[in-house]
Amino acid sequence: MSDLILLGDEAVARAAIDAGITAAYAYPGTPSTEIYQAIEDHAKKHGLPIKGFWSTNEKVALEEGVGVSYAGCRALVAMKHVGLNVAADPFMNVAVSGAHGGLVIVVADDPSMHSSQNEQDSRYFADFAMVPCLEPASQQQCYDMTREAFELSEQLKVPVLLRLVTRLAHSRSQVRLAPPRAQNKPHYVDDPARFTLIPANARRAYAQLIDKQTALQAWSEAHAVNTLTIRSPGKPGILVSGLAWNYLNEALGEAIEGYNLLRIASYPLPVKKIRQLLDASSEVFVVEEGYPFIERYVSALGLMTERRIRGKLTGDLPRMGELSQDAIKPCFGLAVEPSLQLAGLADVLVGRPPRLCDKCPHSDAYIAIKEVIADLGAGVRVMGDIGCYSLGYLEPHQAIHSCLCMGSSIGMAIGAAHAGMNPSLCVIGDGTFTHSGMAPLLDAARENSNIKVFILDNSIVAMTGGQPTMATDEEVVDLVAGLGVPRKHIRIVEPTAHKKHQTINAIREELAHTGLSVIIARRACVTYAKEIKEIKAHKLDIAVVAA
Amino acid sequence: MNFDLVIAGVGGQGVLTIAAVLDRAANEAGLYVKQSEVHGMAQRGGAVSAFVRMSDQPVASDLIGNGHASLLLSIEPLEALRYIQLLKPDGWIVSDITPMQNVSNYPAMEEVYRVLFSAPRLVALDATRLAQKAGTIKAQNVVALGAAAMFLPLPIELIEQQIKALFGRKGERILNANLHAFRKGDAAARFTQGLLAAGIASDMVARVVSNIHFPPHPVPADLQAAWCQRLLAADAAQLLQQLQQHDELTRLEALADLVAH
Repeated sequence: MSDLILLGDEAVARAAIDAGITAAYAYPGTPSTEIYQAIEDHAKKHGLPIKGFWSTNEKVALEEGVGVSYAGCRALVAMKHVGLNVAADPFMNVAVSGAHGGLVIVVADDPSMHSSQNEQDSRYFADFAMVPCLEPASQQQCYDMTREAFELSEQLKVPVLLRLVTRLAHSRSQVRLAPPRAQNKPHYVDDPARFTLIPANARRAYAQLIDKQTALQAWSEAHAVNTLTIRSPGKPGILVSGLAWNYLNEALGEAIEGYNLLRIASYPLPVKKIRQLLDASSEVFVVEEGYPFIERYVSALGLMTERRIRGKLTGDLPRMGELSQDAIKPCFGLAVEPSLQLAGLADVLVGRPPRLCDKCPHSDAYIAIKEVIADLGAGVRVMGDIGCYSLGYLEPHQAIHSCLCMGSSIGMAIGAAHAGMNPSLCVIGDGTFTHSGMAPLLDAARENSNIKVFILDNSIVAMTGGQPTMATDEEVVDLVAGLGVPRKHIRIVEPTAHKKHQTINAIREELAHTGLSVIIARRACVTYAKEIKEIKAHKLDIAVVAA
Repeated sequence: MNFDLVIAGVGGQGVLTIAAVLDRAANEAGLYVKQSEVHGMAQRGGAVSAFVRMSDQPVASDLIGNGHASLLLSIEPLEALRYIQLLKPDGWIVSDITPMQNVSNYPAMEEVYRVLFSAPRLVALDATRLAQKAGTIKAQNVVALGAAAMFLPLPIELIEQQIKALFGRKGERILNANLHAFRKGDAAARFTQGLLAAGIASDMVARVVSNIHFPPHPVPADLQAAWCQRLLAADAAQLLQQLQQHDELTRLEALADLVAH
């Protein structure tokens, strides 16, 4: 048996390295973070000539990857599902221009929202952009399909989306590696017109993308993992995709032999095989992780009546949350196994939600903010954002009242102020600020919006495990000032119990000012103190994996 | 052979570390392994779990189904209760009794112990204090792993080998503390097994064992027999009381003296 036990994320990383990537880019986000982390660690350890870094945000990461592809080399770009929303603009357009060097975008979805604000299913994005999508079901397939994705990308000149889900990204198993391939030599795209999407070129490129669909369809139809088993005509059928295969396999065991079966791992959907399954089966269960993507297609929005299609839309499978063997069993009339029963269990079993660490600077920032707004009467709202400080919503702080998407707090505060909310407060971390908070702060500065922006600068991207932040300390001040916020309304406070009084005074003074203020609560994260020290000492090195 | 193990604890207690030790040991033993774990937001002082699935056949699901786990290994008593529904009706629980009370509505300890100690196949131990005795309080997860070792389908030597591989690079002192911690946990589990096999009620066994600071070597058979005799006697409840008052007792030998009186 192989010696390597890898997370799904790590298997993708090793495959990308073995596929000869020249560069990798990512923005951290659970459950995708370990992909780039593993590439960086492995490349550093072995001195591999691979470039890359944690990009400012997912859009930039993908554009950097497109640049590598343009120059004829291979690139991997990694992000979580909501990150693809940020990168949607380059994603939709590089689909049209097509790839040159192999370009693989790996997106980790989070059904059940373990660490996310929605369950969006990235297969829709691949379909929307008309690019192929691979959906591995095991750590080995993570490796194999990443290797395959690079080949396909260069062969058909398309970017390829690799879709992971939490349970695969964060699960380990044995993986066998294949021989590595050399990196591409740079060779710029010979037809720059297809990367220059002015309308005349874009029409031509889009026509090429449409033409590629035939080849993509043929590729998917012939894909080795898309296997059709017709046991006997008239039996019920199952159409299963991605990770759901594992759960189905385990839930049904030998009973699976009572069904015709089509397993799908690649998109566009293998239409001919689906047709064969439908023709041979009395009814068809569609079992898929995520949205009812296949089910909607196959049931033609529920309009197809010649065969009964059963799945999430029909209520046979749960519409929300990740699947499991137990979630699937009732759909096939199977009972869930009995378990140990303990009397009185329900009475003592309280939840244990995550919380801010002991001595966390965010706690002291929230204590000061809460104390100030308590004096302003009930109903003061604070727009929140995404990071550890989102936990400020929970007890004991209960200090923020929104958390929509990365960087949203400042824009929402501007809008709420326009609607008459006063004071209009918002809280954003240093990492989220540089990810997508600078653009809305530019709006606020241009208008001198009457909002108070708290930037919680803890010198690190903490929630996802301690990645370097793009700006901290005076760099944040310079960015804020550079966007046009007057220096006298940029206040720096130290969120500690000891200096609470000064913090509160500074907040009160800025609340008395009608117009834009930025209050920077500056204190390093206690949990990643060691990492912060290392990052600050090697500021210039962090950007490059290896020269 | 299929063996499903749930490892539970609170963020920062080392759940993923012992999962990694077991993955590698299972791999060395030539078994297929799948192990899913929790990253990200939940790790900030929240409930953390890892599922380790070992088999001589390829493992399909990354998740453990209801009533499928043979063993539930927890580094915190309330966290042990969180995953009971995954445990087989005849599955074993190994749990540290030291609470991590970082939520305001944490139930009264006596209530938690009453429910947990009612489990018929339970090794309850004070892994935190055993770790302290072994040389580092951080090894509480390794004590718990030691207590689980006898239930696993893996040779103990393979697990120890992986502990050495993992902690060896952290220096001899840390390595030895972890090896001691592992063996103390193993001694506690074997002592528990002996008492249960003698027909002593599981809740009494739990209360006794979690008061003993085991040495990192097997409990002698004659001592085990003496304990069984004592606990089966009519005044066992009194012994239990005595035991709880003797919090400072640090060695099994000292408790043997207690039996002799």
